[in-house]
Amino acid sequence: MREIDPEQARAALDAAGRARRQVAEEVGLPRGYWWAMGCGWVFLGVIGQFAPGWVVAVATLAFGAGHATVASRWLDGRRRTGQVRVSAQVAGRRTPLVVIGMLLGLVALTVAAAVVLEADGAAHAPLWSAVLVAAIIGFGGPEMLRVGRRWVRA
Amino acid sequence: MSGARFDELIHPSTRLNLVATLAAADWAEFAFLKDRLNLSDSALSKQLATLEEAGYVATERRLEGSRRKVRARLTAAGRSAFDGHIAALREIVAGASTAEPPGR
Repeated sequence: MREIDPEQARAALDAAGRARRQVAEEVGLPRGYWWAMGCGWVFLGVIGQFAPGWVVAVATLAFGAGHATVASRWLDGRRRTGQVRVSAQVAGRRTPLVVIGMLLGLVALTVAAAVVLEADGAAHAPLWSAVLVAAIIGFGGPEMLRVGRRWVRA
Repeated sequence: MSGARFDELIHPSTRLNLVATLAAADWAEFAFLKDRLNLSDSALSKQLATLEEAGYVATERRLEGSRRKVRARLTAAGRSAFDGHIAALREIVAGASTAEPPGR
């Protein structure tokens, strides 16, 4: 083996670790994914406000099915850009769980916002709460995922 | 897990960064590597060619629209060499820690 200084070895290990972390920062979902979800959220809000119950149920199921189809390919967070595909080992298994947790949290937030708006006497409370949460998803989805991954160390 | 083996080909800093980046990905585009490693086109091409000759890296040229894109990935041999090199570096560091007299 070539003689190298322990300090040089440590520096090389640090450099390799930095390169890995740089790739790990690429874990996420494309921005378009979040906006598409936001649009779906508004659509459900509109349906929930104006359509009869059976339409709401069908639309919700269709949204869930559509999302599940997309999710099977995208939720692992390994394809945020078309420039790199992060390895499964680096992306970790918890990323899909973080995304699902986020969705459940956003549903709870939508319901809570609708209740608050309703109590405040706002007209079309479910619609406005959906618009509010859709904006949060579109503008802040990638950042929320990044923070969520950090929390669970995914 | 492969055994510790210092790899002279991987060790130079530019190549180590390149291989470490590829080791964390299934594949990466030339533009991504160039940007992240802060290399010129020719410098990156040269490093990729060296690693490809050694059988550590495989490149694939694809036509996307009117643009030709190059994608690189680490081969199984390259991954094994990288793992072995990292293990060898860890051994050197660990050896130095145990060799240090207590109290230092």
